[in-house]
Amino acid sequence: MNVTISTKERVQDLSCFGGSRLFAKPKSTSSLAQPDFERFLRYSKKFVECQHYTNNGVLVRMLEERLAEFHDTQYCVAFCSGFWGLALAMTALALQGKSEIIMPSLTYRRMADIAAWVRLKPKFCEVDSNTLAPIRQTVSECINAETALIMAVHPIVNCCDIEGIAALGKERGIPVLFDSVESVYESTSAGKVGSFGDAECFSMHASKLLNGFEGGYVTTNNAELAHRLALLRTYGFEGQDNCVIPGGLNAKLNEIHAAMALANLDELEQLVADNRQRYRQYQAGLAGMAGIRLLEFDETSKTSYKNIVVELLDGWPLKRDETVAILNAENILARAYYSPPLHQKKMSYPFVPANLQLTDDLARRFMLLPCGDFVTCEDIDRIIQFLKFIQSNGAEIAHRLAEAEAK
Amino acid sequence: MKTTEFAVLGGTAAFAKMLPVGQLYFPSWDRYEAAMRGIFERRYYTNQGPLTQQLEERLQDYLGVKHAICVTNATIGLMMAAEAMELSGKVVMPSFTFIASAQSLSWTGIEPVFCDVDPATHQIDIGKIDALLDERVTGIMGVNLWGGACDPVALEKFSQARDLKLYFDSAHAFGCEVDNRKIASFGSLEVFSFHATKILSATEGGCLCTNDDVLAARLRNIRSSYGAGKPVPVVKTSNGRMSEAQAAIALLSLEDFPQNQQKNETLFRQYEEKLKHIPGVKLIKPAGVTFSNYQYVVCEIDANSFGLLRDELIAVLKAENVNARRYFYPGAHRSAGYRDKLHEYADRLPITDQLCATCIQLPIGAMVDSDAVNAICELIDKCQCNADALKSHFAGHGK
Repeated sequence: MNVTISTKERVQDLSCFGGSRLFAKPKSTSSLAQPDFERFLRYSKKFVECQHYTNNGVLVRMLEERLAEFHDTQYCVAFCSGFWGLALAMTALALQGKSEIIMPSLTYRRMADIAAWVRLKPKFCEVDSNTLAPIRQTVSECINAETALIMAVHPIVNCCDIEGIAALGKERGIPVLFDSVESVYESTSAGKVGSFGDAECFSMHASKLLNGFEGGYVTTNNAELAHRLALLRTYGFEGQDNCVIPGGLNAKLNEIHAAMALANLDELEQLVADNRQRYRQYQAGLAGMAGIRLLEFDETSKTSYKNIVVELLDGWPLKRDETVAILNAENILARAYYSPPLHQKKMSYPFVPANLQLTDDLARRFMLLPCGDFVTCEDIDRIIQFLKFIQSNGAEIAHRLAEAEAK
Repeated sequence: MKTTEFAVLGGTAAFAKMLPVGQLYFPSWDRYEAAMRGIFERRYYTNQGPLTQQLEERLQDYLGVKHAICVTNATIGLMMAAEAMELSGKVVMPSFTFIASAQSLSWTGIEPVFCDVDPATHQIDIGKIDALLDERVTGIMGVNLWGGACDPVALEKFSQARDLKLYFDSAHAFGCEVDNRKIASFGSLEVFSFHATKILSATEGGCLCTNDDVLAARLRNIRSSYGAGKPVPVVKTSNGRMSEAQAAIALLSLEDFPQNQQKNETLFRQYEEKLKHIPGVKLIKPAGVTFSNYQYVVCEIDANSFGLLRDELIAVLKAENVNARRYFYPGAHRSAGYRDKLHEYADRLPITDQLCATCIQLPIGAMVDSDAVNAICELIDKCQCNADALKSHFAGHGK
């Protein structure tokens, strides 16, 4: 159905009850940033001219240099995706002979699967209720004789306890890998994201701040690690016919994806400025609305303003999942924040069972609202208007939902 | 050509620019620009977008298979295959193949059991598989090599009789036919590579083909497919997605397949004609197929009749800017990660060891034309004629 209406006046106007959608086109939580086409073509010309389409081509090398500079690190290694970048970084960093990897449960839905690919047993740690991310203490509680690696994951808004966890790893002699997928642009009082722990991993999936179609990269100041990662992504080959280490695969980034990432990197400041404007629009619109709280960016350091996360408080009339379903029906592709948490999912591979009450509670309360290049300030006004409509008609909506469920 | 004209002896290189061995076909700039403009207009970059869907449909039609599932590259495709087929323990495969075939097993916790190959076809020697079977072997990975086939029909019969799962690494085999039937639907599934060096290129890429609905559903879930088909339970997922940019290149490459295959075949025939007179050079013709993509020119060099060792010939050619390659070298069983079990293979893979020591891959594809083939063949001929002089040069260099 392509018929839309600009506002909802009655509860029966909701799409979930058969009304028209608020948005004709989906408004998602993906960045989908698009660079200037001519700029993308100029980069493309470079690899097309040298007829070198993949295998550590000219653009991949340029991208790695630019990203190392951007993150102020010595090395950057690019991969076909953040997923396989993480997998190889885990492989390269895990302490030999140890079996467990510490990671938050409130994180990327495939994170435990990545550990399973590299045959490490996920041990899920609790998070901090303010940052929604692991802190020194929650990680420390999980360390034992089997700990091979600490996977510290930044939350979707702001950063995790970088210094605390990095220091903990050093003190205990356990490598620390940061999943910085949502923190590409961030800085903290400790410095720029990219050079903490033993390595940091990023994604260049189209939905992320830096869109390279698909792709990922790892930054580090460890020369040996960078070399090892570069070998592992190319079957372990050092030059022709010389496979020097086991455990490799193909995780190479192709040149077209590198061209896209380079073009978007050139325009990153503008994207962040646009994100800031969108964030301000949400901030103003949600201020004072009962039952809903915007997670605010820490603006004392550089931040991307990319993701819009809200907490539904006790005063909100509907459950989070009901709210998400109602929004989705209107083409507002809001998403539950990391729900279900990983420790509650069925796993057919080895893991350490966990009881994480705070995580369970947090996983029911937060959701992401539309952001990125497709979302205008006018869209945001309509989304806020709609949230207000839900808020003021909560009782009737809840009643109708219960009726529909009973049928 | 006098011996002193060889570049390795100080002469000028025959080619101004290094001639690679891979296919490296790529669409014209105008077509590239138009395809990318389309993506920018749709603003749909990945996650099973319209071009990936279109590519999968075209591949299904072209290959005559129910499901074609596109992936980011063939190695990750092979890993997904072993995962979806629920293989465990050990899998029999040839050692005479690219290292990624074995690595895909290691990544899924499976031990490869290396089988020798047939000296004439270079394909897995089915007669030698029985001796390798034990209770831990759960499957066979057939590898269709050099644009030929490893007799998939016989392998199907063999594995059915022994209740073993069977799938194929068909990275080299896109478009090839066995008894006029496209390679794609043999065994439980087949994996193709769309790497830039292959006849069908997505720069990086690949696809998995199967007629099995259950397997296809699992593969889509393991790849992560965003709405393509219903989710089914799998042990673990991955990111094996193909982007719209990769799909765009593959679609153009599929359009160009007939002319690229034709070009390959013409150049291959020319190599065949020119090389047949040179003592000690045996060109390997695609085996067991009624139609080939001719994407590889592979020769065995018999040092006795040719007069030079394979590696000496390669050194001469490289100096002439012909990037001839040892392929495969040193064989999966002698590579990192597998050579610690070499004692098991010490006398089990004599043909593989011999081929790894004697095979050479010559250029064919986008960068090669008829004149280049003539020049390369002439160079090889001159090497044979001047083998003694070259030999003493190498002896002087301690090689």
